[in-house]
Amino acid sequence: MRILVNGETRDVPEGTTLQGLLQSLGLRREALVAEVNRKIVEKTQDSALGLQEGDQVELIQFVGGG
Amino acid sequence: MAQTHQQLIQGDPWTINGKQFTSRLLVGTGKYTTNELMVDCLEASGCQIVTVALRRIPLGQKGEKSLLDYLDLKKYTLLPNTAGCFNTEEAVRVAHLARASGLSDFIKLEVLYDEQTLLPDPIATLEATKILVQEGYTVMTYTSDDPVLAQKLEQAGAHAVMPAGSPIGSGQGVLNPNNIRIILEKVKCPVLIDAGVGTASDTAFAMELGVQAVLMNTAIAHAKDPLRMAHAMRESTEAGRLAFHAGRIPKKLYAQASTPQKDF
Repeated sequence: MRILVNGETRDVPEGTTLQGLLQSLGLRREALVAEVNRKIVEKTQDSALGLQEGDQVELIQFVGGG
Repeated sequence: MAQTHQQLIQGDPWTINGKQFTSRLLVGTGKYTTNELMVDCLEASGCQIVTVALRRIPLGQKGEKSLLDYLDLKKYTLLPNTAGCFNTEEAVRVAHLARASGLSDFIKLEVLYDEQTLLPDPIATLEATKILVQEGYTVMTYTSDDPVLAQKLEQAGAHAVMPAGSPIGSGQGVLNPNNIRIILEKVKCPVLIDAGVGTASDTAFAMELGVQAVLMNTAIAHAKDPLRMAHAMRESTEAGRLAFHAGRIPKKLYAQASTPQKDF
């Protein structure tokens, strides 16, 4: 199925969870905040959150700023 | 025994929403050539609050170090900003993301109007302040140097109002000290100069006006020698604060001899 991650189209297997997506991207959960369809996902919910076709995932981190 | 410089600084803390700080210099983490240099500059500046921004993670960079890997969170309070937000909704969303990190409920609220001036949108800024205060954030609001707006922001519950000395990154110093003085008379919450500082004398000047603290990024990060400037900013912040309390002499038109004129 196709989802949008940070604005980029990605093909992921059916049934992929948010946790699975983060693992496949090699991202450390503690360093990021995740939104699915503009709703923030608590860290404890990652494994329960099954992604759906067309979902918009945003993965946000702290960067330098003033 | 007379108090030392350090005792005078330590003995003059300030608070935001119940949290106490002794450093009156807040430093941004953007624009440094390397993260190592940033860490050294933060250390040299003596700051206790650092601003950070939130952005999308670049995909396909597995295992890359993030900003947080460089910041000792036991030492620094994170002040996430809403930089780059041009309306209330975006700013509130970024604040939610910042708090969801679990690392800070401080927010440097900035809602901008246009990209050329980076001046704040006063109406959206006020609106977002109200929302975030209600949601329990410690809200430090970036604003223009308008005394009326500063009062409205305080009434909306802002924990600090932070007028720009001059436009962000412009290095022009404090262009309208009279407005800052009026804000200081009218507003009881902490007032910080946020943006516009170019060099150490700008910082000292701002602190001499009586603001609680100064926030800067570009002035240090883009100095020819950022580390040296970080030291300079620390000292000028402290010097300005000490001078504010010490009380300057009035300016006079004519000379007044320092040395007795009689009894040669």
